[in-house]
Amino acid sequence: MTAVIETEGLGKRYRRLWALSDCTLSIPAGHVVGLVGPNGAGKTTLLNLAVGLLAPTTGTIEVLAGPPRARPAQLARIGFLAQDAPLYAGLTVAEHLKLGARLNPGWDAEYARRRIDWLGLDPGQKAGTLSGGQRAQVALTLAIGKRPELLILDEPVASLDPLARREFLEDLMEAIAEREFSVVLSSHLIADLERVCDYLIVLVDSRVRLAGPVDELLATHHLLTGPRRDPATLPAGQRVISASHTDRQTTLLVRTSEAVLDPAWTVSEVGLEDMVLAYMREAAGGGRRRAPGYHLEVQQ
Amino acid sequence: MIWLTWRQFRPQAVTAIAALAAFAILLGATGPHLASMYAASRVAGCQGNCDHLARNFLAAVRGIYPVVFTLGLAVIILAPAVIGVFWGAPLITREFETGTFRTAWTQTITRARWLATKLILPGLAAIAVTEGLSLMYGWWAAPIGQAARVTGGVNFPLGMGPFGLPAFDTHGVVPIGYAAFGFALGVTAGVLIRRTVPAMAVTLAIFAAVQLAMPLAIRPRLFPPVHATQSLAANFSGIQNQGPGGHFAFTLDYLDGAPGAWILSSGAVNAAGQPVSVMPTDCVHVAQTTGDPTQCLASHGISIAVTYQPTSRYWPMQWTETGIYLALALALAGFCLWRLGGRRLS
Repeated sequence: MTAVIETEGLGKRYRRLWALSDCTLSIPAGHVVGLVGPNGAGKTTLLNLAVGLLAPTTGTIEVLAGPPRARPAQLARIGFLAQDAPLYAGLTVAEHLKLGARLNPGWDAEYARRRIDWLGLDPGQKAGTLSGGQRAQVALTLAIGKRPELLILDEPVASLDPLARREFLEDLMEAIAEREFSVVLSSHLIADLERVCDYLIVLVDSRVRLAGPVDELLATHHLLTGPRRDPATLPAGQRVISASHTDRQTTLLVRTSEAVLDPAWTVSEVGLEDMVLAYMREAAGGGRRRAPGYHLEVQQ
Repeated sequence: MIWLTWRQFRPQAVTAIAALAAFAILLGATGPHLASMYAASRVAGCQGNCDHLARNFLAAVRGIYPVVFTLGLAVIILAPAVIGVFWGAPLITREFETGTFRTAWTQTITRARWLATKLILPGLAAIAVTEGLSLMYGWWAAPIGQAARVTGGVNFPLGMGPFGLPAFDTHGVVPIGYAAFGFALGVTAGVLIRRTVPAMAVTLAIFAAVQLAMPLAIRPRLFPPVHATQSLAANFSGIQNQGPGGHFAFTLDYLDGAPGAWILSSGAVNAAGQPVSVMPTDCVHVAQTTGDPTQCLASHGISIAVTYQPTSRYWPMQWTETGIYLALALALAGFCLWRLGGRRLS
């Protein structure tokens, strides 16, 4: 499996504050990769490093097997949608497409025009008067129109209302299906990622806490409910990610590639969101920050 | 990239063209009449005692003409500062403040080319606008300048000769240098500060400081000054100040035989060439009785030592100063390219 983004001990410091430190990860090609993590995990910094908007303070980063910045040949291969979809407020939608055509040799004018048309956007409208959802759509068109091999989206739906968010992600999926490129998408909204991603990376404090194909992650994580017991007595091969107890009951999130045979447990599937949250909590210092008697909500 | 730069620059370009047009209309509406007044005054082509004709002409220049004259000087002096503040400073800060640099820098174009294009197009426009204003004004004000030079500086500041502060700074090729420098300074402040309003303020402050330092401290030293001694003739046209105890000083603003020369310093010296500031006692007496000790001082061998820049140096100084400003502008542009292409970024 080749990697679209590969980092080794990657770090970025702003004056005295490290936004990302000692981050080592590999993002595989051919997937729609969701990069999740709490605010401040370093997602935006990582993606800005990947597109060459930032230069690393320490470590290395390779994108599509090359250094991210400098040469136009490398820039042409990566499509980027920055956070909040920055567009030129005084330029119209059509002028943004023209910008794309002028600045990208590989520009797919036909596709871009078709997409704007299909989105029902008025080409003559100034970008400054577009809604957040429309702006994100134009920015996405700009990013896809250059025919990248890798599309990087930084919190593309964070500022959108739920309806616009869903529409954007549906359109994104259609675009991905229509054209073949790898996608890396960051978000702190896990429910959104669940809809589009087939590969997940959980980043907390610059560290990869969980990475893998979504199917595989869902298949190997189970929620066990049963009489109260000490998680330490579980068989080897069952890794406890989170545990919560009431007086009589224990609920565990375990990761195991084997079937859970103990009849004392009621085994249920775990949703992606709960799984990711459990990993984030684990990274944040186990269950210590939780109120006593906390129950993990289970989505069946 | 040229298209995008042009598209982003379009509102400023429209403003600039409107300003040029307004200036042209103002000068075009008043210039021909001023020129005909000058032709009628027969100052041009006058032989002998022209002073009288020139004074008559300048006295007739009234009403709107002195207003346009001063306004034009102000516009040309302020244009490079305005360009630096309103074109230069926001050029990059706007991209940072709206985040659009992220969009621009992830297209298939290097930052160096992006910035270079953004510098060249508005930079050339800045030069064209400022020099355009200067050339139009040069045509309009020429009669006043010529007449004022004949009179040796009556009524109008251009009479101080081509080196005078408003004259030198608003004519010739120096506006090219000022415009390029003002614009590049604004861009540099923007690149370093990244916020529009503080970048504008810093641009204005530095530009004003440089524009004051140049005529006061640097321009006089661009070429080594010429030294000369002028005798205290009866028709001495200098300004004399007399103080108590026989203290006196001469200031010369017009040098015989070198009309239009830029007098840098002048002062009384004795026959040995040493500066004197106290009159001989008999001259003090003459001064008290007649009020004019000039001839008495001359009889004591006192004359005036002058250092000056001759008019023949006008164009060498224009080109040198323009070259200095253009070199500064290029250095600033190079710094911006290095800085933005460099490592740090927020």
